[in-house]
Amino acid sequence: MKYIFVYPERCTGCRLCSLACSLTKFGECNPRKAAISVVRDEFERFEFPVVCFQCQDAPCVTACPQNAITKDEGVATRDDDRCIGCRLCAVVCPFSAITTHGKELIHCDLCGGDPQCVKFCSTKAIEYAEETQEAMQRRKEQLARVLITEK
Amino acid sequence: MAANQYAIVNLTKGSVKIGKTPANVIRSYLGGRGTNVYYLNKLLRKNVDPFSPENVLIFGAGLLTGFLIPNASRFNVTAKSPESGFLGDTNCGGYFGPEMRYAGFDRIIILGKAKKPSYIFLQDGSVEIRDALDYWGLDTYKVQTELRKDLGDVQAAVTGEAGEKLIRFANIRNGVKNAGGRGGLGAVMGSKNLKALVAYGTQGLNVAHPEQLLEITKRVNDYVLNSKVISVMGKLGSPYLYDVSNALGAIRTKNSQLNAWSDSLNAEYFEEYVEKMVSCASCIVHCRHRNTMNGEGPEYTTIGLLGANIGISDPKQVIELNNLCNRLGLDTASAGSILAWVFELYEKGIVDKAKFQGEKLEFENFELAKSLLEKISHREGLGDILAESSQAVKYFGSKSADYLIAVKNLPQSDPHDVRYIKAFALGIATASRGADHLRSRPTLEIFLRLPQEVKDNIYGSGISPDPSSYEGKEKTVFWSDNMYAVIDAVGICKFICHGFNSPHLIGYEHVRDFLQATVDLNFEISELQKVGQRIIDTERILNLRFGLTRADDSLPKRYFDDPAPLKTAKGHHIDRKQFDTMLNRYYALRGWNDQGMLSKDRITELEAIE
Repeated sequence: MKYIFVYPERCTGCRLCSLACSLTKFGECNPRKAAISVVRDEFERFEFPVVCFQCQDAPCVTACPQNAITKDEGVATRDDDRCIGCRLCAVVCPFSAITTHGKELIHCDLCGGDPQCVKFCSTKAIEYAEETQEAMQRRKEQLARVLITEK
Repeated sequence: MAANQYAIVNLTKGSVKIGKTPANVIRSYLGGRGTNVYYLNKLLRKNVDPFSPENVLIFGAGLLTGFLIPNASRFNVTAKSPESGFLGDTNCGGYFGPEMRYAGFDRIIILGKAKKPSYIFLQDGSVEIRDALDYWGLDTYKVQTELRKDLGDVQAAVTGEAGEKLIRFANIRNGVKNAGGRGGLGAVMGSKNLKALVAYGTQGLNVAHPEQLLEITKRVNDYVLNSKVISVMGKLGSPYLYDVSNALGAIRTKNSQLNAWSDSLNAEYFEEYVEKMVSCASCIVHCRHRNTMNGEGPEYTTIGLLGANIGISDPKQVIELNNLCNRLGLDTASAGSILAWVFELYEKGIVDKAKFQGEKLEFENFELAKSLLEKISHREGLGDILAESSQAVKYFGSKSADYLIAVKNLPQSDPHDVRYIKAFALGIATASRGADHLRSRPTLEIFLRLPQEVKDNIYGSGISPDPSSYEGKEKTVFWSDNMYAVIDAVGICKFICHGFNSPHLIGYEHVRDFLQATVDLNFEISELQKVGQRIIDTERILNLRFGLTRADDSLPKRYFDDPAPLKTAKGHHIDRKQFDTMLNRYYALRGWNDQGMLSKDRITELEAIE
């Protein structure tokens, strides 16, 4: 299964991911109207891309009083006909990864398997990857830091 | 959102008027620097004191700022400069430019003077003038963190105590390091009792052709990221230029008594202090160092001016001075230029020692530099004099002017000693805001291995490949001046601009495609080139109104009279006669007369635009 993985240590804070999302979904450029948000504070010195991590036991699915959110082949999917816009899913999400903006409730749907945000990240701070491959890649990078000392 | 909105905020009256920038003005000047100078020329019809309430202060985002476009984050601030007395115009990255657009405004035009400390709050189409008493006296970091505590996830363009105290090189800050750095426009904010412009926006920018924009930006991003210089910039930031320039003998050292300095300031020695590279909004270069000493930077300019120019060779000390200036809200370029100037005045005994108020000045003294920067920012002792920047010539006497590295009263921004590189010399002599490389530096002049046909294709033929030759150099400056004016007007960073760091990257054709996809404006490339010329000409009209003459398009005396002592540049200086004829040729390309004046017809044509 492919998921979006985020690597905050590579994130520079630029928000092109959010702009690509809002442009794809709403035809406008608006970092506050996107399913992916970069949480950043230059004084606290951090940047962190926040997006739905497609939890297996997803609180949004459980909490929805309308059963509007279901897992469809591993991807949390909202049925707009059932959704009453109560924003409970956004509140219970442990990562606050669901964005509310006016009458829009914005939830990452992985763009149907072709996420636009990933294509615009210049530092690979977000990647769309097969989970087992990503895990091996991550192990390699971590071990390299431990095992390969600089000359 | 409501597109093309501006607000005129009259701080004296406490009034706000919201309007729309006419389509023809946008077509003629795009936005950012261009539309700012259009409005400044329209609203500032007299040669007023820059600190008087009559000065007009304009914040304007680029026409492409805030869109899904690489490095489109920038805004300009424009007013009459208290440092130079001529045009003050400064370009800033960070996150404020996009935020003011998401809050519904492309441009805020500030008139008058508030009765008490104030800030302006922009939020989703509304503008409020608010009390800033709680923020007055805070440094540029503290004021931003306090504003966020009180107002949430806002972006702010602020000034520090230096701006409040009217330091003539106080800048405007957004974030830790982004600066509207040049010309002392932070002090213009201070003179208006304006601590900050604060924005919070949830409105997006509508896009005429979303699919097309996604496609173009993806393609252009890949193209830019494939460039070698961009990967170097992303790793080392602008400090990579130090090494290159130092090898040529083109680093201003000790007030340009020397022209090369220690290798210990090469980019590699700053790497151990880098925690992470971070970026402005929409940036794919990420040239900004988050340093391990609780700040960001330094840039190449700061390494040159708070390093070589004041005789500092320890990277750690340069970073500390850089961080201090950033927090205080001082322009590092002017700070390093002014310190070096008075160090030489003192050491050589050019000015009576009694004038230095008991301070013992010398190069290579980190603690002294640090204490003087603090004193400048608080206007204490000698700091009160140095806070006047180039205007301190009045205090030190006319002989001191011979040692000041400034043009049009603006200390030179660029660490480049221009004696060897004649095109750079013409560039800083003619730049509309005074001695500054960001208006027209034709960097390709020092890419000695670049094939001649590449240069010919960009600038036209007849340009000598020798950097020390005057032949054809007016063409490289003319081309660069126009191109960079357009890139400033659309709000894209110069670091990915065609000709600034590379013979490739974002040029007129990309700007044309982006304008079409976003705001549905169709331009021919030749029309865009004319926009650049129009911006420069309008800036010239303002400067002429402020009393500029041909004599102001000149260089520091030292660059003419003292040959550079070191390295490749050794023996080179600027020949007055050759410089004058090169300046004549530059004026001719611009269509200005031999006194650098525009024709009456051209002024009438430009001022009829509305």
